[in-house]
Amino acid sequence: MDDDKLICAIAAGDDTALRELFGRHAPWLAIRLRSLLPASDTEDVLQETFLAVWQGAGGYRPGSAGGWLWGIARRQAALFLRRRGPATLELPGLAAISDPDGDPAEAALAGVVMARAAAALGPDGSPEREVWRLVYLEDRPVAEAAELLGVPVGTVKSRAHRVRRRLRAALHMDSATEGGAS
Amino acid sequence: MTDGYGPADVDLDRVWTGVAAQVWLRRPGRIERLAARLLRSPGLARALVITPSLLIGWVIATAVVLLAGMAATLGTHTPYVALFDPAVAAAGIAYAYGPGIDRAWELSQSMAVSDRMVLLARALAVFGLNAVFGLLASAASGAAVAVTFGWLVPMTAVCALALAAATLARSANVGVAAGISGWVITVLAGKAIAGPVTAAVASPSLVLPYLLFTACCGALVLYTTRIPRGTE
Amino acid sequence: MNVELEELVRRFGRTQAVAGVSLRAGPGVFGLLGPNGAGKTSLLRMMATVLPPTSGRLELLSRDPGNLGERREIRRRLGYLPQNLGYYPGFTVVDFIEYFALLKDMPPRQVPRAVAAAVERVGLGDKARSKLKTLSGGMLRRVGIAQAIVNDPELLLLDEPTAGLDPEQRVAFRTLLREIGERGTVVVSTHLVEDVGAACTEVALMDGGRIVFHGTPDQLTARGEGTGAAGDAPLERGYSAVLAAARS
Repeated sequence: MDDDKLICAIAAGDDTALRELFGRHAPWLAIRLRSLLPASDTEDVLQETFLAVWQGAGGYRPGSAGGWLWGIARRQAALFLRRRGPATLELPGLAAISDPDGDPAEAALAGVVMARAAAALGPDGSPEREVWRLVYLEDRPVAEAAELLGVPVGTVKSRAHRVRRRLRAALHMDSATEGGAS
Repeated sequence: MTDGYGPADVDLDRVWTGVAAQVWLRRPGRIERLAARLLRSPGLARALVITPSLLIGWVIATAVVLLAGMAATLGTHTPYVALFDPAVAAAGIAYAYGPGIDRAWELSQSMAVSDRMVLLARALAVFGLNAVFGLLASAASGAAVAVTFGWLVPMTAVCALALAAATLARSANVGVAAGISGWVITVLAGKAIAGPVTAAVASPSLVLPYLLFTACCGALVLYTTRIPRGTE
Repeated sequence: MNVELEELVRRFGRTQAVAGVSLRAGPGVFGLLGPNGAGKTSLLRMMATVLPPTSGRLELLSRDPGNLGERREIRRRLGYLPQNLGYYPGFTVVDFIEYFALLKDMPPRQVPRAVAAAVERVGLGDKARSKLKTLSGGMLRRVGIAQAIVNDPELLLLDEPTAGLDPEQRVAFRTLLREIGERGTVVVSTHLVEDVGAACTEVALMDGGRIVFHGTPDQLTARGEGTGAAGDAPLERGYSAVLAAARS
């Protein structure tokens, strides 16, 4: 059975078709996800992907099954990172990374400053926050960030530009306040 | 399972197991979840919930008998429901005993949730269902209140007899035979001694003997279903 | 030691189905051979806590099956496949396995994954939601194996498990046994001597309710050498030789 027919069968509730589809496509999807995520995250995202396939097969229009599958996988990866994202970012910790032998009080202050600057980028989940997180905090290449967000590379670059502008403004304001309060 | 390999550190079989776990298995229904909490055993709750599917023949037979009884009572003013229901209940309870409905009987005996617990829970469930339907059918057919409630006690006694016979003889069929014949004898004896065919059901003086009989049969069931320790 | 039997006896009326068996088994795959009526099934039933012994000492997974609480603990860690399993025709494969997983007191959260894993392990992944009445004998046997392994048992008891399995499935099954035998004790009662030779680390031969041989498959083969005993394969010859000696 070709992919289109398999997905049609899945939409009709045939779990053996889902198993067949998994057998055919999970390996390459896993390889592609693995280039973006660590191994355990890849497993979780791949599982969520096929569950989404099970639920959403009705919306498939015959054409490129591979493209459709990758679209779902990419969305699930982004969702997964967003759900998990904030919990793994420790802003004070980041400041300490830049100067491990420095004054912890300084590091703490830097952390607070960063948190306020990040807030200036917009609410959690907004395009600018996402770009900032992927490109600046997680240090991914722009092409990868574009892949994960599902937008063209040019869009990521222009958002990154906006992020730099806003951060500069926020940090500049902070140092002005600090200097003035001594 | 897959055509080709994924990355070396990604366990695709494990991923599929996670997907299959959610695709193949349904979440238990509300009744089952409630039963699991009340009984503090998800296994026992599941055993109870599947009983109707195992006893489907009996369920249909019960419905037929009760409806027929209802129709007959409306026609003749003899409370047939009260007379039939105990026999039907006894049959159902006897069939709840192991080899009767449980084709995987030997396997069930090796389970952590003991077959004795399952038997008692099923017997209670069958009895309860029968009592409720019988009450409804009896009331709907316009029988007197004393008779409608009166038969619950003899019904308990007959069911206990059927269960005791089944567990002693290790055969559901023996239990059914014992229950039905025991009930028929009681009704006919009641008719012979006191006159009306409902004597066995409606006499308050019989309540205590019925209850004592039930208790004896109950004790017998508990004894035969225990697994003896070591030497016998 | 997962299994310890000492002078175990089981009587039915006047016959002794098991006439004084002593055995100790740790992790590994333990084969139980013997002709019909040798007492293998009764022995397995006693180990499955389905039949109480008439006399003798029985200790399973370091617990006493005569004690109610300990018996329940044993059963949670037990997997058993009787010779005649019986099944509920209207149930699906996963319904059936799930039911027995729950009866083994498995935490409900773990059950779906464990059932899915067991189904895939016995090669029934494409029959998961099929009704049992639509399956062949060999597939039903595999469903039985799946329910026995679903709770990752420390003691796995299998009575004639390979009935109806084709050679390829038997190979997969032996691999499964070896995997489980790494951590737990597997006891396989079988007529098929070749199955025993390929998968078992230890073998016992029963006749007339007693154990007449206990050792490795190689040792059983050695017993048959040079005796002219009946059999097409070395292990079969060893089997015949031991039986002949025991009966003379």
